[in-house]
Amino acid sequence: MLTLENVTAGYGGGDVLQGVDLTCAPGTVTCIVGPNGAGKSTVLKVISGLLRCRTGSVSLGETRLDGLDPSRVLALGITQVPQSQALFPGMTVRENVQLGGYLIRRDRKLLAARYAAVCERIPLVASRAGDHAGNLSGGQRRMVEIARCLMLEPKLLLLDEPSLGLDPQSLAGVAGLIRSLNEGGTTMLLVEQNVRLGLGLATHGVVMEGGRVRLTGTAAAVRDNPEMAALYLGGTSAKETQRG
Amino acid sequence: MAQFVQAVVLGVLIGGIYALMASGLTLIFGVLRIVNIAQGAFLILVATFTWWLWRTTGIDPILSAVITAPLMFGLGWVLYRFVVRRISGQAASMSVLLTFGIALVIEGFLNVVAGNKFRSATPAYFEQSFRVGDILLPKAQVYGFLAAVVVLGGLYLLLTRTWAGRAIRATSQNPSAAALVGIGATATAALAFALGSASAGVGGSILSVLYPFFPASHYDWISRLLGIVVLGGMGSLPGALVGALVLGLAETLTATYGSLQWSTLVFYLVIMAVLLVRPQGLFGARLREDVA
Repeated sequence: MLTLENVTAGYGGGDVLQGVDLTCAPGTVTCIVGPNGAGKSTVLKVISGLLRCRTGSVSLGETRLDGLDPSRVLALGITQVPQSQALFPGMTVRENVQLGGYLIRRDRKLLAARYAAVCERIPLVASRAGDHAGNLSGGQRRMVEIARCLMLEPKLLLLDEPSLGLDPQSLAGVAGLIRSLNEGGTTMLLVEQNVRLGLGLATHGVVMEGGRVRLTGTAAAVRDNPEMAALYLGGTSAKETQRG
Repeated sequence: MAQFVQAVVLGVLIGGIYALMASGLTLIFGVLRIVNIAQGAFLILVATFTWWLWRTTGIDPILSAVITAPLMFGLGWVLYRFVVRRISGQAASMSVLLTFGIALVIEGFLNVVAGNKFRSATPAYFEQSFRVGDILLPKAQVYGFLAAVVVLGGLYLLLTRTWAGRAIRATSQNPSAAALVGIGATATAALAFALGSASAGVGGSILSVLYPFFPASHYDWISRLLGIVVLGGMGSLPGALVGALVLGLAETLTATYGSLQWSTLVFYLVIMAVLLVRPQGLFGARLREDVA
């Protein structure tokens, strides 16, 4: 269970997060939605150790994560796909994915087995293994970014805006991958601007605004909450919109 | 025709040596985003040490790179951990000031311990040449070139075949993504700075034979090295290789068909012409604020 309690964090002088409480139960997909500047991506950065929280605590089970370096957080089984430009463009797809196993680099057999498993799950990795990552399309890059995270077989996968800049076909591929990973037992925490897509993929939803959590619940409950509809879906709930 | 071939071959030999010298500068810039103005002073420090070693023990100056490279690796590592690291994340101008300061300290140190006079190591093969048909190949330049090729080849293998090398390339291409896969920024930066310094360890030993030097020669050398990496594209190793070959060829062809005085100036004219067309250099990535 991932737990954030009363977390404040920010860049420079101000606090972007102003007392965030959040939980993710094992096996769930939790999606954080909210307007620009709500602090969604900052939550992921605090969890992955890229940003230290100023007050409050972040825990995975009994283990405190706040104050740990990104490599220590990774070693605990939490990997992150950042919002954009997360690959090493001058390196091949194979190198990019294998770098996801940097922490297990000394165990060559394990590394080879994990790479083979990732290639099986995401065939693009094998078919474009020798190509430079900088030559891939947006959707392909996203798949490789996720593939890289799978090298550590994470307990918790953090995905920042997985739909950003993707065409419908690529989007369907990424969404299918997220569903299949969750069916395999991977816990996921998504940040998504595309509310319908995000809550459609998720089991649980979190609505943030102004650095605070405004609503939480099951994805369906959040999606159909009248307040949510008024805030983000132009006055009608997603369900009603879909019916219409 | 033989004269032209001779000039081209000499240009390639010198270019290979320049490439080795510039590789450290571009490696350090690629990973740390630091313009190491002290790289020229590292070369002169090593050249002076090599000269002293040769005079006192008779060790071949170029072979003494097996001693100077590890020493410079250690010095680079210590300098990074205790001096350069302190300006990590600050404006690039700070790195220029700091490394210029290091260069001045090295220059001052050499003035005190070695005196302000020209030196050059002159082993037995210094004035000998290999003859291939009508072409004469000075032995010192051939040996220097071979040493440069071996070191650059080793550097290439290290960067592409080892995890430490992949960590350096990953950090150079995308520092935040490197952190997300567990690559330690400080350790990688220290390794890059140490490797860049070690390349000056080999380069300085070669320099001691091929070029007369004195403590303030580092100004001339850092100008050339900066010219090479700006022409090739800051942070690009293939760019440094091509930039160095252009410099080597520009020098030898101008010296052969024009005059010795113009040989270095022509290279800077080439840089100006290239930068007018490609401001990012031959292999550099163009930085745009909207995608940075």
